[in-house]
Amino acid sequence: MKLLIVEDDRSLSTAIYDYLKMEGHICETAQNYKQALFKAADNRYDCIILDIGLPDGSGLDIIREMKANKLTDGILILSARGSIDDKLTGLNIGADDYLTKPFHFAELSARINSIYRRKSLLGLNEISFNEIRVNTADNQVYVNNNCLTLTRKEYDLLLFLVTNRNRIITKESIVEHLWGDEVILTDSFDFVYTHLKNLRKKITMAGGKNYIKSIYGFGYKFSDS
Amino acid sequence: MKLLTKSTFYYLFFSNLTIFAGVVLLYLAIRKDVYRQIDDSLVTEKEIIQDQIEQTDTIPDFAVSFGHQIVVQLMNNPLHEFQVINDTIVSDSFSRTDQPFRYLYYAGNTKRNKGYTIRILQTLSEKKELLEHISLYMFLLFISLFLMTILLNYLISRKLWHPFYITVDNAEKFDIQSDKPLDLPETNIEEFQQLNKVFDKMTRKMRSDYLNLKEYNENAAHEIQTPLAIIRSKLEILMQRKELKKESINLIKSINEATTKLFKLNQGLLLISKIENLYFQEEKEISLNEIIENCIDNYKEIMQLKKITVEMESNDPAIVKMNKTLAEVLISNLISNAVRYNIDDGFIKCSVNRGFLTISNSSAVSLKTDPEQIFRRFHKTSENPQSVGLGLSIVKKISDTYNMTVTYTCIGNIHQLRLDYNPELNPD
Repeated sequence: MKLLIVEDDRSLSTAIYDYLKMEGHICETAQNYKQALFKAADNRYDCIILDIGLPDGSGLDIIREMKANKLTDGILILSARGSIDDKLTGLNIGADDYLTKPFHFAELSARINSIYRRKSLLGLNEISFNEIRVNTADNQVYVNNNCLTLTRKEYDLLLFLVTNRNRIITKESIVEHLWGDEVILTDSFDFVYTHLKNLRKKITMAGGKNYIKSIYGFGYKFSDS
Repeated sequence: MKLLTKSTFYYLFFSNLTIFAGVVLLYLAIRKDVYRQIDDSLVTEKEIIQDQIEQTDTIPDFAVSFGHQIVVQLMNNPLHEFQVINDTIVSDSFSRTDQPFRYLYYAGNTKRNKGYTIRILQTLSEKKELLEHISLYMFLLFISLFLMTILLNYLISRKLWHPFYITVDNAEKFDIQSDKPLDLPETNIEEFQQLNKVFDKMTRKMRSDYLNLKEYNENAAHEIQTPLAIIRSKLEILMQRKELKKESINLIKSINEATTKLFKLNQGLLLISKIENLYFQEEKEISLNEIIENCIDNYKEIMQLKKITVEMESNDPAIVKMNKTLAEVLISNLISNAVRYNIDDGFIKCSVNRGFLTISNSSAVSLKTDPEQIFRRFHKTSENPQSVGLGLSIVKKISDTYNMTVTYTCIGNIHQLRLDYNPELNPD
């Protein structure tokens, strides 16, 4: 995937850049409104990660400019403000999704992938990992072509894991992904564990391999190594 | 006690004393005058009789006048001369009652050295009556004067203090969050003008301090977001390293936990400041029943894990006009609390009624602190040190925004939160 990271904070920008590059994406960065506007006009990206509060302008204006020029790049808004107004305006004028700082990289990655699937892989809404296939159009999971019966949360969890495959995912990011960040649940980590256990059981029952690994101290990793 | 009552009370007390003393003194003075007059007339009468006796040696033929008796006796031998005037009680043969009299008794000698006595009685009952009447009239006059002064004093004071009471009333209604100016009454009394000036200055200062503090808090919370995002992202990159040793993993783990907590805290504070700043303006009619059911559904798995049974009882559609996000946050905080502080094999009971809903849950402990305390920011219980202590304070903030009241009760180990969601049905 080709991505543009528009973020004025150099430190955060580098962190996002490093992480997404590790995931194998081609990344470019822009530190301010002007730079971002030029880059977005000259190149096509699968997704633009856009901070709203830029020193020399609002990220929302970049979206307006792009939509006026009928550019269809995916846009994910990043905001430290987290205000409902920003969110609604952003989504109304054509952004694809909205993420509030601070976020987990796993969440960022999941959102970018979701935008990418919606935008670029029209009709091919499927992510596969060895014998596991996740169809995001009808929310079904197949293991060796056997359809799994998963609860809504188990499905979300699996999709989250598969999109972030081969990366360590913290328990916190799973909790936030499944229950949203408005809710402050502190003892839900056991519960993540139970969910993962159930999911693991369902996959192995259907003949899949156990890809969900516990990583000491951090969380989990979905990988076959 | 009100100032007005107190001043009237003092006034009453002291004027009562004065009036009482005044009436007593007046009574004594008049009495003294009356006695002197009676005595004078007794002496005059005596002198007339004495004159006649001494000149003619005969008893003047005065008849016994009504209520006024004169008895003159002539002796053959001389008497020792003396005179006495005093009070006496004489039994009246007509009315058969004892009547007060003043009497003069005189013993003297004629020129021919013969003794004689004069006894003059004068009734006091009429004079006494007069005296009593005068005293009564005086007393009534004093009382009416006194009542008039009190009434006048009360009315004048009330008028004088009127601006003061308005000032106090308005100061009581003062709301630091609204930008409505403190409406202080115009007055031409210098002290009250000064008071109003001080009040005005003070509230302006309070408001500006409050706004500064609020702004500072909001900015701080917002500015913390980006550095937090950097810490979090760098940590996640660090975690992905393959060559990490166990020590480093433990370090990263605790940094991550602390960061998460900081993040939650900041998020809660941001939410509170957003509610305060009316970010959530869009309102529509929503059903609390529906929100509760969705919320229970969201926690279904956690409840199953803890083997908590949920009971939902709906006796009212519970339609309220409020912001949907806030309604969800409100309910989800209540339910998540009921889940978090629950025990294995415990229960949660939600009951929606007309005007109020209750959410009760079983718990391992009963609350020992003041129920109001739990709505305060950063209130923590020892049972759950992980909690940041903002959940119920957010609940309170939201319910305050919509004029709802939330109350907490604890009976044994069963905790109950009651939300009166319809302010019109509220008794308060």
